Parts: sequence; C-alpha cells; structure tokens
Amino acid sequence: MMRLPKFDYRTPRTIAEAVKIIGDVGPDAQFVAGGTDLYPNMKRRQQTPGTVISVMRLSELNKIDGDGKSGLTIGASVLLSDICDHTIIKRDYPVIASAARTISTPLLRNMGTIGGNLLLDTRCNYYDQNYEWRKAINFCLKKDGDVCWVAPGSSKCWAVQSSDLVPVMVAIGAKFRLISTLGERMIDAAGFYNDDGIDYLKKRPDELLADIHLPPTDGWRASYQKLRRRGAFDFPVLGVAAWIRCGTGSGSDRVADAKIVLGAIAPSPLDVSEAARELIGQPFDAEHIHAAAEACYVKARPLDNTDFVMNWRKQMAREYTLRALQELL
Amino acid sequence: MNLVGKPIPRKEGRKKVTGQALYVDDLSFPGMLHGVTVRSSVPRGRIKNISFDQPPATAGGSDRNIPWNEFTIVTAKDIRDLKLGENYVALILNDQPYLADEVVNHPEEAIVLLAHPDKYLLEEARRHVSIEYEELPAIFSLHDSLAQKEIIWGDDNVFKKFLVDKGNVDDVWAKADFIVEGEYETGAQEQLYIENNGAIALANPNDGVTVWGSMQCPYYVHKALIKLFGLPEEKIRVIQTETGGGFGGKEEYPSMIAGHAALLAWKSGLPVKMIYDRAEDMVATTKRHPSRTLHKTAVNKDGKLLAMEIDFVIDGGAYCTLSPVVLSRGTIHAAGPYFCPDVRIKSTAVATNLPPHGAFRGFGAPQSIFALERHLDKVAKTVGLTPEEFRRRNFIHEGETTATNQTIREKVDMDGLLNRAFELSDYHAKRERFARENGSDRPSRIRKGIGFASFMHGAGFTGSGEVYLQSVVGAEATPEGLIRILAASTEIGQGTNTIFAQIAADALGLGYDLFEVAQPDTAQVPNSGPTVASRTCMIVGKLVESAVVGLKQTLLGSGLLKDQYTQAEFQRACGDYIEKFGRLQSFSKYQPPPNILWDDEKYQGDAYGAFAWAVYVAEVSVDLLTYEAHVDDFVAVQEVGRVINPVLAAGQIEGGIAQAIGMTLYENVVWENGRMKNGQMTNYIMPTAADIPPIRVYFEENPYAYGPDGAKGIGELPMDGPAPAILNAIENATGESFNQIPLMPEKMMEDLVGQG
Repeated sequence: MMRLPKFDYRTPRTIAEAVKIIGDVGPDAQFVAGGTDLYPNMKRRQQTPGTVISVMRLSELNKIDGDGKSGLTIGASVLLSDICDHTIIKRDYPVIASAARTISTPLLRNMGTIGGNLLLDTRCNYYDQNYEWRKAINFCLKKDGDVCWVAPGSSKCWAVQSSDLVPVMVAIGAKFRLISTLGERMIDAAGFYNDDGIDYLKKRPDELLADIHLPPTDGWRASYQKLRRRGAFDFPVLGVAAWIRCGTGSGSDRVADAKIVLGAIAPSPLDVSEAARELIGQPFDAEHIHAAAEACYVKARPLDNTDFVMNWRKQMAREYTLRALQELL
Repeated sequence: MNLVGKPIPRKEGRKKVTGQALYVDDLSFPGMLHGVTVRSSVPRGRIKNISFDQPPATAGGSDRNIPWNEFTIVTAKDIRDLKLGENYVALILNDQPYLADEVVNHPEEAIVLLAHPDKYLLEEARRHVSIEYEELPAIFSLHDSLAQKEIIWGDDNVFKKFLVDKGNVDDVWAKADFIVEGEYETGAQEQLYIENNGAIALANPNDGVTVWGSMQCPYYVHKALIKLFGLPEEKIRVIQTETGGGFGGKEEYPSMIAGHAALLAWKSGLPVKMIYDRAEDMVATTKRHPSRTLHKTAVNKDGKLLAMEIDFVIDGGAYCTLSPVVLSRGTIHAAGPYFCPDVRIKSTAVATNLPPHGAFRGFGAPQSIFALERHLDKVAKTVGLTPEEFRRRNFIHEGETTATNQTIREKVDMDGLLNRAFELSDYHAKRERFARENGSDRPSRIRKGIGFASFMHGAGFTGSGEVYLQSVVGAEATPEGLIRILAASTEIGQGTNTIFAQIAADALGLGYDLFEVAQPDTAQVPNSGPTVASRTCMIVGKLVESAVVGLKQTLLGSGLLKDQYTQAEFQRACGDYIEKFGRLQSFSKYQPPPNILWDDEKYQGDAYGAFAWAVYVAEVSVDLLTYEAHVDDFVAVQEVGRVINPVLAAGQIEGGIAQAIGMTLYENVVWENGRMKNGQMTNYIMPTAADIPPIRVYFEENPYAYGPDGAKGIGELPMDGPAPAILNAIENATGESFNQIPLMPEKMMEDLVGQG
C-alpha cells in the first residue's frame, strides 16, 4: 500500500507567517492547498518535502472580489467547486466556471483549489507511476533519473502541463500575484509557465501564489474545449482556449484581437500566434476559423507521454480549435 | 411459495450501506504485522543477488535508516528451510511459484516478502531491497509465442490444446458456394473490482494456518495452502470476509496473497495483513486473456452453414493458472447458437512473459463469441443476406446438435428473442433511417449505426466438471427454528445470500427472515465449489433447495412436524427435534441431471446442463472527425430460465454490459516490456456513468427443469454479446469493418484514413 512519507505539517494563519516559514525552512518546504496533486505525488515519492505548509487557513486567499466591470480577483485557496458555482463568475466569466467544471470529479473539486490547479505538477506516463514502477525503468529525468523515456537523448523534460484552467488564464490575459518575504509582484499568466517539464513555473519556491486577477470583460469572449477519453474524471490530453475581441464602430464585424492557447500538449501552455493572425483583422466566419484551426494543427506537436497516440492528438488540435471557435460565433 | 421472482432486498444490503459490513482491511488483530511484496522489475531473468540496503546518507525527506533486523523477511529459500510444503500455487499445472526461485518469468513476479508492525517504515524498506538479474530474452504477444520466437515455457510455449471435431470439414470446402475467412483479436482487460486483493493470516505449527480474505473460492485457497504448508486439510482454515467484487479476479489470485500473508505469519509467529493498493493490484494480478481467432466458413447459396473451421488462441501469460479451462470454455462457445453439420475447432493457450492472465467474467467465451459474431456479419454480407436473415437460417433448435454434438433438449427460441430485441430497439426502422441519413448527399459527421449479436452461455462447470466437483451444501436449524445455509459459495456483490434465502424460503414455504447464509469458512461449511462459471444460482441454488427440503423431511420423519404446517409449527418442531436428538442438519450433494454425457478425450457430448440464450442490440454514433464511437442505446433480451430476483438479475445484466462496453471501446491495457504502463484509474480508462447508455434489460422465462425453481446461470452472459454488437453497429455506421477490440479512436482513425 502506498503511504505518505513522514513530514512536518504547518498551518499558518497569515500570509506573512506562511512566507516566513517557507523562507526559514528553505527548499525542503512546500505549500499545499487542497492536496489533491501533492499528496498522491508524495505517496508515489515524486515529491518529498520534509515540511508541508497549508495555505487553507489564510483567509485572505479565500475571497472573491469584484465583477466583470472592474475585473475579478480570486483568492488562490478558493475551491474549484466554488468557482463552478459562483454567481458572478458564472455570469461574467462563464469560461472559467465551465473549464473548472471539466476538472476531475465533484469530490476532487470539493478539495482542490484554483491556485493548486494553476500550479499543477506536469504529468507524464513515465513520471506518474509509483516508486517501484519508476525504479524498474531506472527512473526518469524529472525525478531521480537521468533519461527522458519520452525522448531519450533529450536534455529537456517533456512532461505535460495538464491543468484545464491554465490555457484559459493565458488566453484571457489573467495576472497572478505572488508574495514572498522579499515583497510581492504581479506576473502575467502568459509569462508564468516555462517550456520545461521540471522547471515549469516562473515562481520561486519561496513565493506564494496569493490571488488571480481576471481582466474586465469589456467586449471579449472566450471558450474552452477539453479532450479526454471519457466523459468525466480525466486530465486533459488536449485543451483549447480561444479568446476573441471584436472591433468597435465600423470595425465591429472584424476580429480586433484573438488568442488561441493549447494546453496539455507541451510542458507549457502553447500560445499559437499563427492561429490568432488568421483571425485578427478578418471577419469572424467559418473560413477564418478553419484557417486558425489549421494553424493549431500545424503547431501542435504532442509527444507520446499521455493517453492517446500522438498523431491522433495532433489531428484533434484542429478539430478542438474549430469547436472552441465555433462556440464563440 | 412466492418469494422467487420478487425483488427481495439484499440480505447484506443494510450492513453494506451503513458501513457495518467488515471487509478484510477492517479487521485487526493484536500484534498484527503488515506485509508487502517485493516484485521483479524485469520480464524474464535469473536472480543473481538480493540485497537489503540503506538509504544513501545524502537522501533528504523522510528517508531514515532501515532496521532490517526488525523485519520478517521471506524468500523462496524459507519455504525449504522452514520445511514447509511445495513452492507452487496448486491449481492445474502447479507451475507458478509463490516466490520466484532463481528465475523470474514476468514483471511484478513476487520474490521477497517483508513484514513489520510499522506500515510506513515497511514501505521505506521495500524501496531499499535491491535485486540484481541476469536478463533473458522475453516475448510479449501470442503471435511471438506461437512463432516460438523464444521458448519460454516447456518445449513449445503451449499450456494446452483442444480439438473439437464434428463431422469432417475437409470434405465440405469443395462443395461450398462461398468460403469466408476472417481474423479477430481481443485485448487484455482488468477486472477492476472495487475492493483490491487483501488477506490476513495467522499461522504456526501448533494451530496450523488460518486466513481471512477477499475471495470468490475459499476452497481453492484451502487446497493451495495445504500444498504450500504440507499440512493436513483440517489444519488449514480459510474464511471469506465481505468481498467488494471479483469478476474472476478473485478466483485464483487470492491463493497467492493468502499464501504470502501466511508465510510471513508462520515465520514471524504473528498475524500478518497484506492489502494491495490499486497500482499494485492492477500491475501484478490477473487480467482477461488476450485472444486471436481465425475463422473459415463454408456456406451454400441459400445461406446455410455447411462447415466452420475455427482456430482460437489465447495468451496465458507467464504461468498456466486457469488458462486450460478458460480455453475450454472459449472453445466450446466458439461456434455459437447455430447448427452446423461440420465443425472443427482447434484451440491453443500459449505462454508469454506477461503477468499471468486469469479468470474474468465470461472466461474465454467473450473472446471467441466476439470473433464469431463479427465473422457472421461478414459471411452474411458475402452471401448477400442481412445479418438477421443469415442467422435465422442457421439458429439452433431443440433436437439439433452444437459443435460438441450436444443435443439441445431445451425449447430454445432464438428467433423469438431476435424478434423481441428488434421490436424493443426499433431495429428495422432505425437500420433504414440510418442508411438513408448516412448515405445522403450531405451526411452529418456523426454517423449512426445499429447492430446486434446472438449468443449463448453455458451455466456451470464444463463437461464433467460438476461431477468431479461433487459439491455439497448443508442446512442447519437452530433451537429457535432459524435456518442457516452452509455453503462455500461467496457473496461478492452479485446476490448469492439473497437468492439462496429466497430459494430456501420458497422450498419450505417459510418467511425470508428465517434464513441466514453462513459466512463461508472452510471449518464451518462444506465445499459447494467455487463461485464461478455462472453456477451459484443454477447448481448451488438447487443444492440449497434440496438441503432445506432435507431438513423438512427429517422433521416429518421424526413425527414432530405434520405435512401441513405454519411457520410457528415448523420453528417449534426444530426446537423439539434439537432437544430430543441434538443437531438438526441436512446435507445435499450434486447429482448430474439424467443423460448428461461428456467425453473429455474427444471433447464431445453435453458440455453444459443448460445454456442461457440472448440477443443484444447496440445503437452507436461515430464521430467521423474525432473517430470516437459512443453507445447511445442498448437492448438486452435473454432467456435465463426462471428469474429468481428481478432487480438483482437486471443489475447483473446491466453491470456486465457496462463492463463489456469498457472492454470494447475504452479499456486498453498498455504494456511496456511486459509491465502494465497504465496501471492507474487515471489512465486505464474505465467508462463512467457519463459514458454508458440507457441499458434496457428484458427476460424471457423458460424454466429449466433441473435448476432451482427453473433458474439457469446469468452472471457471465452479459459479457459475451456487447462487443460484437457494438462493432457490428459501427460497421453499419461507417461501412468499415473493425475486427479488433478495444477499438480506440486512434485505431479507428488509422483504419479509416491511414496514418495521416
């Protein structure tokens, strides 16, 4: 039976206390929110922090403020199920509520938080295995080994960004607020993820993700399409977030700005600017939607490290981009 | 009386939903140790060295020194040194060791057992057992095994072969109007019972060995432990705890985990509990046998079957386990519910270096029936008949013979089942509408299709199996006039306790609450045989009926009870009898129905006492952009004799169909060097309620003279039909013939457009 290793568990009541603990303990400490990602990983010995600091009692991280007019701030410890059901989110940011609803199961959404989902560990068939399984293949680059079994010879880890909310946040231009003992900073979601399965965040380990800032909903709309093997439960094997803003006045029949972001095919979310270029300045119609979808197909290069074979996943990039954009017609 | 045929609530239902039911992991004993298994990391090799290491000094996190002297450690050598019995799991060929001795033949083979009171430390210790191997070449597919790319078992990689010969097919080919050939394959499937395998053992030279565990067949475990410990049978006691599902996955495997727990208990002198987590259960325990079937069929221009030649091969994995009997059932079912004068079925179970495959609901029949029912759609097309017309011309009838020359003595009405299934599913209208829509100038990207399969499933052990088993059931009255049914047949979620009580209560004309089914415990109950082969209701249920009737006859004979009695009089008579004579017990032993003859040598004769018959219709939609197939509607019409409990029976059918939809479209065991790569529920994709269509279940009742109240077997039947029905529907939708399951979207894309 897989068991958790022994660890110290800390429950600070203020952000200041939380960041001080992690500053004091150093790299052997890690924050935890709902634990739906960290604890299974600890049981499999993928992550082995000696000190785990819960952020669930930080009341500042548990709030939702604002609305579509002013922009919305969501505390990092807000539960995913509360995101799904929040009146203002459903009304002003339906794409966030609907993407959150595709995450896992109701039980896990009752435990998991939005912050945890945005910081979700990258995933791979060779990494998300118990210790014995990984030991039998001499481990892998991401943890305890020196070979990437997905791309032997690669010096880079190809584990996949697997959150449903990440591509959406990047597409709509959300910002994240990070706090440490050194102060706080805001970072664009678009610049927050590294294309490296091991070092996948531009967040220092001592920084705490405090809240998520959604931009005002002035004239844009967005959608999210998720590919998975069955109708519930699974991580995405492809996620497509689409965002468009139409012009005003005489340009109102044209797309003024657009963003298509693919999730779950690379270590970081993939912003397909080629697809956006097919849309910007053009009428938002079937022809241009198809061109954008084609650009996503060309750009998508999934590797053989999740469920489904890569060629099929690549084909689906076209189809799922189509679906995401058609939803915005 | 009137309990049979009614939806009586489950005997143990209340305990289960209120959490009072005790599963093996709910039990604890003073001083109990926990046990774990260290398994092979290579598919085949020689064990060169085993070492018990310490974590490196630099290791961070929770690693700490392992006090190896505190651990109970068992290897194959201990079975010799402790002068126990034999190091094999007693079953059919006795080739599978409890603990690998010098060589390993598959990944995840057990090599070392560890026990310690601290289950956290135990896990750390398991990580620090290092085993060095000299690797040997291994094979992972039945094709490589048949081709003898490497000889890995015996002289020829073959566990078992069968030949069924009816008439002479060789004389037929020349006179056939059509000869149709086809090749069909099925994959492995994990049983995914909700409760993983687990056992607790107490064992020492004075008291012998006692094991509690999650299992289907207490007497299989009993037999295996007798051999492992070299003890007389009364020194071995096996008790089934509440069991969260089996589906065949707890038919033979519990003998392994029970033996492991007992070895650790014997050596430590303390109780030992072993519970697998899901990851270990999925990678290390048995799965459904992958198969390949070749068909060659001769037909005349009227669409009459003239000859069938079938070559059926299953992949048994590294050890024999139950492969010969799985092969047997698959072989006998391979020609289906049709009359064909000349049939030859050759079948082979081969070895590979995968973990052993084992029992799984249907037991070989879903594999060979998949091949047949796909093939018959192809034959029909070649002859120019619709799938149903072709089958109607060949359905077997009373008085005709099956492939093994068994004369059907039941009033089988496959035409009637087909009619009913078509009417309920609106088959003809839909077939017409889908053809029109799919063939229109601007067809939707979603193609609809409808297809069916007609099939049968034999209940009980094959051939002379039930005669060899000599099953016994007992019934015992208490002084208060309550009656306990004594049987080793296990309740594993399918309703054993409930139907036994219904059958017994009706046999005596008494109330349901008077009856209780004893916990299967080899020290307390007789051997009513294993809980497998759709035999619990039909075979054991009949013995329950005669055992309780035996009680009544004893009371009548003693003069303490009159022919006509009330419940109170019956109860009083029990008390009076016990006061006067001591115990009131009755035992009933299996008697085969008359005229059942089976020739084990030639594989000819009456393979089963009775068959269940069925026609299943599946409606699908196939998305031609994503190549995903979804089952939209499912109609299951079957004749299973008399239905004892309609809610439990419908539940069995619905569950089996859902499991079979998983086998067909979702559940793909991915192997890498013989090790399961997707051994977690996040990546071994079992369908959820969101993926399963409405399943509409209908029973036709044709009471079977030798079953309790006319019942036949039901448990495995629903596993047989869905896969071919769904693939027949997909062919109807797409015009493309797919002959391999699981049929994943990527496979469909490959076949429809080629690797693009």
